[in-house]
Amino acid sequence: MTSTQSVTPTSHHNDIALELCELSRVFKLKRGLFSAPGEFKAVDKVSLRIRKGETLGLVGESGCGKSTLAKMLLGLLEPSSGNVLINGKEVDPGQRRALARHIQPIFQDPYSSLNPRRSVADIVGVPLALHQVGTPQEQQRKVREMLDLVGMPERTHQQYPNQLSGGQRQRVAIARALVLHPDILICDEPTSALDVSVQAQILNLLLDLKAEFGLTYFFISHDLGVIEHLVDRVAVMNKGSLVEIGTREQIFERPKHPYTRMLLASALTPEPGLGVPDITCETIA
Amino acid sequence: MDIVLDVKNLRVDLPTPNGMLHAVRGIDFQVHRGEMLCLVGESGCGKSMTSLALMGLLPRKAVRTADHMRFDGIDLQTLADREMAVLRGARLAMIFQEPMTALNPSYTLGDQLCEALRTHRKVTMAQARERAVYLLERAGVPQAAERLRQYPHQLSGGLRQRVVIAMALMCEPDLIIADEPTTALDVTIQAQILRLIRELQKEFGTAVVFITHDLGVVARIADRVAVMYAGEVVESAPVAELFARPTHPYTRGLLNCIPVRGKTLPGSRLQAIPGVVPSLVGTVAGCAFANRCSQVQPACTQTPPNVALEANHTVRCFAAAAAQEYV
Repeated sequence: MTSTQSVTPTSHHNDIALELCELSRVFKLKRGLFSAPGEFKAVDKVSLRIRKGETLGLVGESGCGKSTLAKMLLGLLEPSSGNVLINGKEVDPGQRRALARHIQPIFQDPYSSLNPRRSVADIVGVPLALHQVGTPQEQQRKVREMLDLVGMPERTHQQYPNQLSGGQRQRVAIARALVLHPDILICDEPTSALDVSVQAQILNLLLDLKAEFGLTYFFISHDLGVIEHLVDRVAVMNKGSLVEIGTREQIFERPKHPYTRMLLASALTPEPGLGVPDITCETIA
Repeated sequence: MDIVLDVKNLRVDLPTPNGMLHAVRGIDFQVHRGEMLCLVGESGCGKSMTSLALMGLLPRKAVRTADHMRFDGIDLQTLADREMAVLRGARLAMIFQEPMTALNPSYTLGDQLCEALRTHRKVTMAQARERAVYLLERAGVPQAAERLRQYPHQLSGGLRQRVVIAMALMCEPDLIIADEPTTALDVTIQAQILRLIRELQKEFGTAVVFITHDLGVVARIADRVAVMYAGEVVESAPVAELFARPTHPYTRGLLNCIPVRGKTLPGSRLQAIPGVVPSLVGTVAGCAFANRCSQVQPACTQTPPNVALEANHTVRCFAAAAAQEYV
């Protein structure tokens, strides 16, 4: 098991895979014709570090800024202020292609994240073609190897996404994310569109791949059971700000912030007889 | 306790270009007055088709058959569309997953709530409004009286679902069918809504058929549970009994594959159920779970028996039948 010490400012820079420094994103809201435009702080001065080989979980409710944060890490959205460092180097938001070598996404919905008009092998081959890695023969070989690794049998390689189940589609999305051998995977709710029996298969696959490639995961989820199972450290977000960050034990055993406590209290574990928790008292906190 | 809903051998078939899809394949269940029955299963197991079949809201091409489908002694199959419309909303109500689409965006909440009552009962507008305000308050909607003039888009998702629940209760129905009512909501709001449904159910003595895929929700709210797989009820038991002694290999698989605090070692491999749900198009022979089951035996190519265990617990499985005989 990976050590769960929290990262201290003295940590050596070589150990840090991903660092966010006061990252913010403000959306301008148009109001009336003459009134001044309003502002909505989707992400407000979020700073955190993820060590190499670590899994950091990010939890929070819808609208708390989780996905905006993920988009900024992937270079899909420009930060309003603050910066992102990958392996100690600052990232230029204009350099999406260079960024993609290091950081790749897996999205929630495997039904909309795969191009329906391309075969499985083509989908996984796109990053290799875009980045001009090797000859076409080498690319084909890499695609085959990667699909084998994620558990896609040979006969599915020429199929189209609509012929696959949800779990298989998510396997294809994982193969596409890994084919360039990135250091960091941003997993944005990768199993919440799947049934629980399939979710377990995908979580096992993510654990195996991490062990094989020494990957660093930034794992976004609203499912606290999944977060507790998978991560070394947890960051809790509410209304655009990071309210608490700590090791799995710190967050799950000794949560400090009232919002973290409320989130933990409202999780429904499959234990009959406990009833539904009453969380109204702390709701407005 | 008297039985509000008694369903025997319900089947729903949907014609598709590739042949007949057997969405629901002969299920039996009963719901007692004031009881919460949870139908739990993964996508495609037929749980939503079951709810639509009960409400008479199936797609036009779907074929529904049953030995009987008695609601308070009335066989729902014998009712004409118009007679069903009289029951629906008045004595049988439904809460859908999406509170966004369940409310009409172009009418105020007051209009929609009062319409639900005035369609079925001879009451004045003032009386209807009074009941609407009372139920909105009971459902935890703040400033209920002022809300009647608001439109659905002015409310958050959680508030909308509270309004939908209040609307379902307008005519004091005997039975509410709730199809994944909290799936679209955040966990904190989900806990509040589940608590509300449970409280109101106890207060009004309403029977509820609650459809969900979430075993955490089932454990916390159900009185009885029916586990569905591939259009069949594979296991049914009171909630404590089901979680204490899950017997069908599918139920056990479902419980084992979710990470649970204190039980699953973080970072360990989860016990996934291998394979995928079979296609229900065409004839389905034998046990539908056989191709994913760890305890499969030669007999499983035949239709498995429905074995009655102790404590009101039934299982549709050869392995369970063999164990029972052995005891």
